[in-house]
Amino acid sequence: MKFMENFKKGTPLLILALLMICPFVFSSPYLLHIFILIFIWSYVTTVWSYMGRFGIISLGHGAFFGIGVYTTALLFNLYNVSPWLGMLAGGLAAATIAVILGYSCFKFGVIGHYFAIATLVLAEIITLVIIALRDTLETGGKLGLTVRSLGTSPLFFQFENKLIFYYLTLALLGLALLIWKKIDDSKVQRALKAVGEDEEAALSLGIDVVKYKTTMFAVSAFMTALGGTAYIQFTMFADPTTCTGVGLSLGIVFKAIIGGMFTLWGPTIGSALIVVLEEYTRLALGSAFVSYSQIIYGLLIIILIRFLPGGLYGTFSDLFRQKRKREVQVLLSGRQAADPYK
Amino acid sequence: MLILNAVINGLLFGGVLALMAFGMNLMFGVVQIVHLAYGQFIMVGLYLVYLLTVLYHVPLLLSCVLAIIAIALLSVLCYYSVVKPLLKAPPINQLLALAGLWIVLENACLAFFGATYKGVQVVLPVLHVGEIYIAASNLIGFGVGLITLGLLYLFLNKTYTGVAIRAVAQDTEVSGVMGINSRTIYLITFVVGGALAGVTAACFVPVYAVHPHFGSAFTLLAFIIVILGGMGNLIGGFIGAFIIGVVTSIGSTLLNPEIGQIIALLICLLIIILRPQGLLGVRART
Amino acid sequence: MLRIENLCSGYGGFEVLQNISLEMGAGETVAVLGPNGAGKSTLLKVISGLLKPTSGKIYFEGRRIDGKPSHEIVEMGISLVPEGGRLFPELTVYNNLLVGAYNKRTRRHFKETLEEVFSLFPIIKERQNQIAGLMSGGERQMVAIARALMSRPKLLMLDEPSSGLAPKIVASIFEFVKEIKERGYSVLMVEQTVKKAVGLADRVYLLESGRMVFSGDQTSFLNNPKIKSSYLGI
Repeated sequence: MKFMENFKKGTPLLILALLMICPFVFSSPYLLHIFILIFIWSYVTTVWSYMGRFGIISLGHGAFFGIGVYTTALLFNLYNVSPWLGMLAGGLAAATIAVILGYSCFKFGVIGHYFAIATLVLAEIITLVIIALRDTLETGGKLGLTVRSLGTSPLFFQFENKLIFYYLTLALLGLALLIWKKIDDSKVQRALKAVGEDEEAALSLGIDVVKYKTTMFAVSAFMTALGGTAYIQFTMFADPTTCTGVGLSLGIVFKAIIGGMFTLWGPTIGSALIVVLEEYTRLALGSAFVSYSQIIYGLLIIILIRFLPGGLYGTFSDLFRQKRKREVQVLLSGRQAADPYK
Repeated sequence: MLILNAVINGLLFGGVLALMAFGMNLMFGVVQIVHLAYGQFIMVGLYLVYLLTVLYHVPLLLSCVLAIIAIALLSVLCYYSVVKPLLKAPPINQLLALAGLWIVLENACLAFFGATYKGVQVVLPVLHVGEIYIAASNLIGFGVGLITLGLLYLFLNKTYTGVAIRAVAQDTEVSGVMGINSRTIYLITFVVGGALAGVTAACFVPVYAVHPHFGSAFTLLAFIIVILGGMGNLIGGFIGAFIIGVVTSIGSTLLNPEIGQIIALLICLLIIILRPQGLLGVRART
Repeated sequence: MLRIENLCSGYGGFEVLQNISLEMGAGETVAVLGPNGAGKSTLLKVISGLLKPTSGKIYFEGRRIDGKPSHEIVEMGISLVPEGGRLFPELTVYNNLLVGAYNKRTRRHFKETLEEVFSLFPIIKERQNQIAGLMSGGERQMVAIARALMSRPKLLMLDEPSSGLAPKIVASIFEFVKEIKERGYSVLMVEQTVKKAVGLADRVYLLESGRMVFSGDQTSFLNNPKIKSSYLGI
């Protein structure tokens, strides 16, 4: 029994260790590329689920990702600011917007699907801003922008060796999972869970609901923007459709739903599945057929929401651990009682 | 003069926008769902008209009628496969499932028609009265929009089914006690809403060449109008459509079109946060 | 006509009604009395199909109706006047009446039923084009009763028809109930105002925190010593 418990505790470390050795086992640059993409999206999806698991569903994380991408790239392209600083700037910009939007929403009781809609509008606004600034700030509009290449320059976050990105993004993912764990063990988790279940009860316990939710939103936005920086430094190219907007926001949410947003590994598994699915269709059918993988994935979402609201991994782990079941049901529902629109 | 021109064309375009928003609003009012994939239905409608007219050489008007019927059927399919099973689910699940449908429809069009603009070549004259230039396409849209809305008004006020739809929107529980099966009313609402999306698409045929990303633009536009007028408030939505028509028309004449849209969206955000009953909403739902 | 056997029901695991049994014959007027929160409205909700029973049976004219959807129950001839009337506020009075006659059985008789209802409530005929939400409380209650009659019910159920109304208006509402009764409808009425309701009722049930604690006719109700002290204040 004890062995099993230790084994369980050690599993995440074991997986991380295996992933660290991976690049020595295979050396295909293509596989490396796929792994890096999986790590980035798993990271972003995990960070999104910091809020999602408490019923605060944001459909605007694409905006924060885009802010990370474009702040970094523009500061570097236009003012030669190191992306390491750009990363911080992007994170802070995203967090600021999250605080403004989050505070006003939570303060005025905009929750549940109305919060989702508000964040969706934000995602569209950021996309339009990027397109509108096509000339003023050389964002390139819909055509996209390319980061000036310096070859390898550690000071400017540019590496020709993909292995560095592999470890960097793996470290980011590790960090995100660690924070997930920390939240899970902390007071914040209990407070937010209380919020998810009964806002009035939480208030009467003296928990400042607005503050907790806003903080969580800001942290999530900040970290999402960091993911954006990592992405742009890796791909060196950005355009509004892949790097920001409603489509990307939905993509993040869907990855979390597919994997299950209530478990530590759910977002990672969901992201890995989707990235592999997209790559597979691209390889098997050609890049013109990527939309087919998107169709499958849209259908998968509808089916999952209908039959398995706990997500794939979430539902399977539920089969072994019954206790989570109730939590899942309650939390995905968000809050309805204080809905100002009903 | 430039502005007057923009105002008049904006008002005319508002007729089609009113029609577009009406469908989304009706579904929100009656079924209580935010139809996130509504704009995608309009987009599919535009593609169907293109497919029939250009590839199969069906006369334009006939293909518009066929497209309207097809979209109404698609809407029924959407009701049975996505909405009905989730009627009792939390609103956020409904929203996400419809977002899934959004992705499916957008990519289905991308897979089938490709990423280039597809349009039907309709040459319509530009009329001018003195120094005012009016696009005939706007005039047709305005006419069709108002006629359809007039018919809808009669339907909702003078027929058993129409009055029942309004009754369900106002009090679902009591309407059940009156002998109304709300599920049937929901289905009818989806048929009407789908047909409206089809009519909107027909009005858009002379205005736009269609692209797979258009669906989301339509959804958001309908959304802004509905939120402006107060969700579920049909008259508010009607007025909101004309306001948005004029604002975007002036905006794209004087500034660049994105800035006009950004302003509209920011207003929309403010309304969601501060005046959930809508800028024009007078009644609070109880 | 209506028979309820060992009915239990409630909301979200909380049992409001416990083991309720009730019987009423055709043409009878029955009053279910009890304090606030005793489960009176819940009982009507279960009968009209808005709430599912957890156990027990309900028969209407020999047919089981428990668990059926409310629109089917209306079709069979049971009509509910909800508490406070709950008219459709944005519809005209006429359209409210139209909705009342929505079910298939009565739709074809709409014109005659309307004349009948107008003869009962002449004032509604004058007001038929008014928006329902703009009427006074007493008028709304009246229209709500008229709307329920539009479905040509065999059993009319009234949920606290007097609640929130001034005494003078309450008196006139009960006058209408009396007239409806005299026209041969069976009436099941739920009330807090004991005296007025008992005066109309052929039989009286008393509900206390979800249980039936008394059933009997008018006189035995009025003469029951316990009821006398706690409900009639004598």
